[in-house]
Amino acid sequence: MNQIDAARSGKYTEEMEIVAFMENVGIEFIREGVAKGTIVIPKNRVRDRANICGIGKGLDIKVNALFGTSSDREQMPMEARKLKIAEEAGCHSFMDLSTGGDIDGMRKQSLSLATVAMGGVPIYQAGVEAIEKKGNLMQMTSDDIFETIEKQAADGLDFMAIHCALNFDIIHTLQRTGRVTDVVSRGGSFLTGWMLQNQKENPLYEEFDRLLKIMKAYDVVLSIGDAIRPGSTADSLDEAQIKGLMVAGELTKRALAQGVQVMIEGPGHVPLNHVKSTIELQKRLCHNVPYFILGFLATDIAPGYDNITGAIGGAYAGLHGADFLCYLTPAEHLGLPNEEDVRTGVISTRIAARAVNIARKRDHALKSEYYMSKARVENNIQAQIDNAIYPEKLQDSLINIADHENNHDDEAMQVVAKYFGIA
Amino acid sequence: MTILESARKGLITDEMRQVAIIEEVTPEFIRAGVALGEIVILKNNAHKNVIPVAVGKGLTTKVSASVGMYHSKDTIAGEIEKVVTAKLAGADTIMDLSVTGDIDSMRKSALITTSKPIGTLPLYQAMAEAKKNKGSSLEMSVDDLFHVIERHASDGIDFLALHCGTTMEVVKRAKGEGRLDPLVSYGGARLMGWMIHHNQENPLYENFDRLLEIANKYDVVLSFADAMRPGCTQDSLIGSQIQEYIILGDLITRARDAGVQVMVKGPGHVPINQIETTVNIQKSLCKGAPYFVFGPLVTDTAVGYDHISAAIGGAISAYAGADFLCYVTPAEHIGLPNKEQVHEGVIAARIAAHAADLANGIDKAVRWDLEMSLARKDLDWEKQIELSIDPETARRTWTERSDDFSSECTMCGKYCAMKIVSEFLNKKKVG
Repeated sequence: MNQIDAARSGKYTEEMEIVAFMENVGIEFIREGVAKGTIVIPKNRVRDRANICGIGKGLDIKVNALFGTSSDREQMPMEARKLKIAEEAGCHSFMDLSTGGDIDGMRKQSLSLATVAMGGVPIYQAGVEAIEKKGNLMQMTSDDIFETIEKQAADGLDFMAIHCALNFDIIHTLQRTGRVTDVVSRGGSFLTGWMLQNQKENPLYEEFDRLLKIMKAYDVVLSIGDAIRPGSTADSLDEAQIKGLMVAGELTKRALAQGVQVMIEGPGHVPLNHVKSTIELQKRLCHNVPYFILGFLATDIAPGYDNITGAIGGAYAGLHGADFLCYLTPAEHLGLPNEEDVRTGVISTRIAARAVNIARKRDHALKSEYYMSKARVENNIQAQIDNAIYPEKLQDSLINIADHENNHDDEAMQVVAKYFGIA
Repeated sequence: MTILESARKGLITDEMRQVAIIEEVTPEFIRAGVALGEIVILKNNAHKNVIPVAVGKGLTTKVSASVGMYHSKDTIAGEIEKVVTAKLAGADTIMDLSVTGDIDSMRKSALITTSKPIGTLPLYQAMAEAKKNKGSSLEMSVDDLFHVIERHASDGIDFLALHCGTTMEVVKRAKGEGRLDPLVSYGGARLMGWMIHHNQENPLYENFDRLLEIANKYDVVLSFADAMRPGCTQDSLIGSQIQEYIILGDLITRARDAGVQVMVKGPGHVPINQIETTVNIQKSLCKGAPYFVFGPLVTDTAVGYDHISAAIGGAISAYAGADFLCYVTPAEHIGLPNKEQVHEGVIAARIAAHAADLANGIDKAVRWDLEMSLARKDLDWEKQIELSIDPETARRTWTERSDDFSSECTMCGKYCAMKIVSEFLNKKKVG
């Protein structure tokens, strides 16, 4: 039985038990969240793996990493290394965004290596194969798309980004209102081009029930792709984006009615003064299902440091209710990330997530804060390393920490330390 | 006449005109802000080559970088290299926080190296000299402290960090209330030690008028340091922190009446759900004085990455109303930053400052984002790099991850969304 069907019939699944244990909440809380759609548990029924996690209201905010080949870079061994690095650095899930080389082979390699939830974007493969086998993207058929989705679901992907919330009404709005950066979603751009050229409605929107059947058969979480997300802070909260959210909301309702778990993908580029509104709108229009955001990037002007702009936007978004952060690496807007970029991206996003979990008063986050501060006061270096978000970085700095604390030979310092009972 | 005295008399000074051009506001806007105390202009009247910088309401958020000799092995040349690095990375001001070595020469070298305003924390030197000359930091006399303050001011230091609000009453509260980490501030902790040892009130508080005379004479901005800032997220918004602000609020009125500009330093470590409250409390208790925050760090556990933790806190603070961000480098809590870490710290703080300026609708900031996005849409790489906050790093990252420097990047390769959509939506080719 699907997670959502089980939840609605009052049953606890093994996955709910694991999530409740990991999050230190009652299993009934998890069951209720899954039944209502405020919590999703990405777990394809054909894939067994070590780590199960829940995403949504009342839980820790989670971190997703991306990797995959591109048409310019198709080195499978390098992608395998990135996957390992991202897991070591502490991500909760991955998405394989491969568009180059042996895409099926890449996915199978990733699924065999990953111990966490894994997602994909099937339209990439459908589009790339149409270009390679039929000569151009416009020859892609509706069947091509759905067959790719079914193939990837059968391979075991736990969640899928699918750009179903895009239709002609939205594209016409976009054409009418104009934007600084029109469509920055790769899947969204494939579909926009295909729709305009063929003058046909988006098959993922038009044949949404066909999509739901596949999702349901494998218990894949539908992640409604944000085809129309703002790609610059200037485009944030424009008409096209809101229309996209409204369509996503309608589809969410249908998915929930069919017993399909669903979450919504979000921007992108959002100035800090739009963060709260963006999240409130998503929650309201999309029936409180989890919000999976890409960033947010708090500014457009920091290429080379988008892990930092993403950490700023992600933390602030989490404070206002975002549930799931897709990482950004320092290579964003400049190229495909290398291994070191992946590590930096995961850690930066985890810092944002930790800040959110502290604000949400999550037990384990508050405990880490407490133990770290206590270790600092007591000058306990090992405890500082143990409680650090990425301890590997600190092993080399052991001597430096000790050195930093050598000011205790100061008399005024000794007096005050004694006064406060620290000496 | 000091800048504040002029502003209060309705006079627009050269400094006001200079900063108005940089900030793209009218000189009258600056004058009115200075008169109210919501804007301060950093410019010591003895600092000849300085380009004044304004900090406060309605202006872009500023970034300060700290350097200084801490270990016996640290050299003036090494620290001056960091000053230059920070300046090139775009810091608006520099603080020399030297606690050892030839502090006078260090300060003078910093003053001639850059035209940026410079701040110091005179207590460090006063205690270092007491230790050297009299055998113990506790032997520092009140006169010793004020002589060092006057020396810094007459050398041309533009803002002085001083723990004026850390009174005995505050110290007692801190002891009683059970802070996890009561000794956060390097200078504040030592000052408390001195007060406890001598059983004497804080000399900066007790002799506040003497301090105001010096500050007025050189038109130095007082930067009230907060010994009671939270040093871990758990101590945020604790009583002693608030009490110190209440006392500082009283001192601010006295300073303004004496024609002295004031800003207030802030945390430190603040969970993100308490940032807005922290800023509002400071603004309210400290009567609208510019808020100069140290980070704040939003988690204690990001050791090795505290510049990122601080960028999160800095952006949210500045969006909520903080005016000035003291950078935090990746070396924070581990050691002292090297040149590369100084660079990273300045850039991270500038990203935070800009994100807040953008959200606060500062024209310059909005325009910058727009220009970058237009360059992105056109796949104009030279323009994108030129507009980057750190063009050198952007170019290096792009170059290292590119194969053929085609119009699109290796992220999406030939399946570039910008390219595909421009072709179909606008029927025009880009790149």
